[in-house]
Amino acid sequence: MIVAPTHRLTLRIGPATFRIGSAWRRPIDQLARLYAGYPNAEGRIADFTVRLDPAGPLRRWLRPSIFITGDHGLADAAPMSLPHGLLAAEMGMNLQMALGWRRHLLLHASSVEKDGRALVMTGESGSGKSTLAAQLGERGWRLMGDEFALLDLFTGHVFPFPRLVSLKNSAIGVMEAEVDPARMGPPMRATAKGDIRHLVPRADAVARMGEGAAPALLLFPRFGHDLALRPVGQGEAFMRLTQASTNYVALGEPGFAALTRFVAETPAQAIDFPSGEAAIELVDQLWAALP
Amino acid sequence: MTARLLVEALRDPATVERLDAARWNALIAMARAERLIGTLAARITDRALPGDVRPIVTDALAEAEREKRQALWEADRAREALAALNVPVVLLKGTAYAAAGLRAEEGRFIGDLDILVPRADLDAVEAALIAAGWEWVKPDPYDDAYYRQWMHELPPMIHRTRDRMIDVHHTILPLTARQTPDAALLIADAVPLEDGLSILSPEDRICHAAAHMLADGDLAGGLRNLWDIHCLFGELPDRAMLEARAARHGLLPHVRRAQRLADHLYGSGTARLSAIDHLFIRRLLARDAWGRESRKLLRFAFFVRSHWLRMPPMMLARHLWTKWRKGHRPA
Amino acid sequence: MSKQTGYRRAPDDAVVVRPLDDITLIYHRPSGQTHMVVSPVPEIWAAMDPAVVMDADLVRERLALSYELDEAEEDMRAAIAAHLDEMAALGLVRRA
Repeated sequence: MIVAPTHRLTLRIGPATFRIGSAWRRPIDQLARLYAGYPNAEGRIADFTVRLDPAGPLRRWLRPSIFITGDHGLADAAPMSLPHGLLAAEMGMNLQMALGWRRHLLLHASSVEKDGRALVMTGESGSGKSTLAAQLGERGWRLMGDEFALLDLFTGHVFPFPRLVSLKNSAIGVMEAEVDPARMGPPMRATAKGDIRHLVPRADAVARMGEGAAPALLLFPRFGHDLALRPVGQGEAFMRLTQASTNYVALGEPGFAALTRFVAETPAQAIDFPSGEAAIELVDQLWAALP
Repeated sequence: MTARLLVEALRDPATVERLDAARWNALIAMARAERLIGTLAARITDRALPGDVRPIVTDALAEAEREKRQALWEADRAREALAALNVPVVLLKGTAYAAAGLRAEEGRFIGDLDILVPRADLDAVEAALIAAGWEWVKPDPYDDAYYRQWMHELPPMIHRTRDRMIDVHHTILPLTARQTPDAALLIADAVPLEDGLSILSPEDRICHAAAHMLADGDLAGGLRNLWDIHCLFGELPDRAMLEARAARHGLLPHVRRAQRLADHLYGSGTARLSAIDHLFIRRLLARDAWGRESRKLLRFAFFVRSHWLRMPPMMLARHLWTKWRKGHRPA
Repeated sequence: MSKQTGYRRAPDDAVVVRPLDDITLIYHRPSGQTHMVVSPVPEIWAAMDPAVVMDADLVRERLALSYELDEAEEDMRAAIAAHLDEMAALGLVRRA
């Protein structure tokens, strides 16, 4: 007998509403606590359905194993253990956005806002874009997102997707030292990407999740190298951003128009840095030098 | 809760104006699971919709439009690649509906490019496609030999740079199936399109859709197939011709069953269903409010049935491989 | 000399062309593909007329009207023919 997911939660993050159903209670409770400050979305019609299903007939109880699915899923997704349920839910939401969102051009990038203008940082996992955004978010910038930046197809503005910041390995200690412990999620060890802990964005970042900003600077960060700075040409920026976008191809011509406008109008720099402090200082300098 | 909610919305779009939030969530999840979200969007877009539903509908329509353009481009590329061979190339399924502007194409999810060519020309077609940049999805000489000998199509190919798949058929059912449609007739009576490609005749289109749905698979994607069939029936000039043609292909029971099921779900609802028909309906509607397939035992029974239909018993071992392959391709 | 292949270019509204600082982007509407190209592809595109079937020779002559071509005729023709071939594979032009 199949039973409908007994534990549910509806969340709104930026412009997207997610209906999450889980065979287990714990991940839902954890999500509810961490997202408590977010707008109430119960009873809304959701943009996406996310499901945490048992990975096999007995896996609801015996060595519980979570299969992440929903409207969009990957048939060969590796199941996750129950202690990582919170991570499974987050991955489920990411998957829906990456495969199904069409209302903005999605960039795999972090973004922060100051004085009505946006800084967008894009790079591979480990580039430092998420940690840097989180740190800037504690230093007078408004965090718009650590994973996805949403580019408006008509205005060219960047819009927030302020999910829980996903801190990995050494970044955990860095942020633990800076923020109120109540903003930290449960530690999750030995995931596929190492140790992970979630950080709840500051209250004003959550409150202003509907507010976009004009992009003013694009950075390609690389953590763990000697300090270096190099301007990036429009062609290179375009190519790297198409690789960093999960829905560029799906959007067709509006995606092309939005991305070409973005690279034509936004100066881009590749920055290498040995530490968070060095990066922050470099960002402040570059920002101050903007026209 | 079953997929009856989805079927009602497609059959009578006015009914969506009475849905509450919970039912909207269920309807959208089911439609996506059945790959009918684009079709649903096309059916309800002129209705008064809640503010949160409108962007979902807009997105689905835009997606279907883009899919259609890509599918027609793939057909164009296949035509270019095969032009020099002077071989008849008949488009099948979704791409055919899109190319011919049929009602079945509105909002439809398309997937792979399916074409039908004469069996005698298969080698030449294969060579021309490879020269134009398509390659095998899974090169394995043993599987390959089986495929070529017994299946109704070449092993699947994918284009090297565009990453889109093509299925080249030489008839519409596996050679191991109990029915043997007349492939030469399918091609001889195909309707030419402007650009040199063709599509099946109105009667053959329905025969193919019915065969594909009932004789070839385990009814996965059945609600979508039946919607196609319902639309195709709506544009059929002459029912008598259809019956005669179906009989010629040995597909009369399939076409009649498809007609009853389509009528029951999407049409007048007056068709008299047999006990087996009711079982089919239950299988087709087995979807819950979260988009999951329900009624596991029933699904398993149909899974077994589908392989029994396709293959004589001594080939049963092969079915696992076939099913795996089908499971990894868009329906 | 052997007969050259003729090509017909896609109509103006089949593409959106956006020059960036170091490359040119071409969005091809029928295929939904984005191509990043450098000279002489944008120039070849501009030199072709969708209403006229053109071979590499004719394209070279048209280009010579607007640009100084410093390579030998034969080399230029071969290079242009290669580009036209690539553009045909992408669907920007068709073999006539």
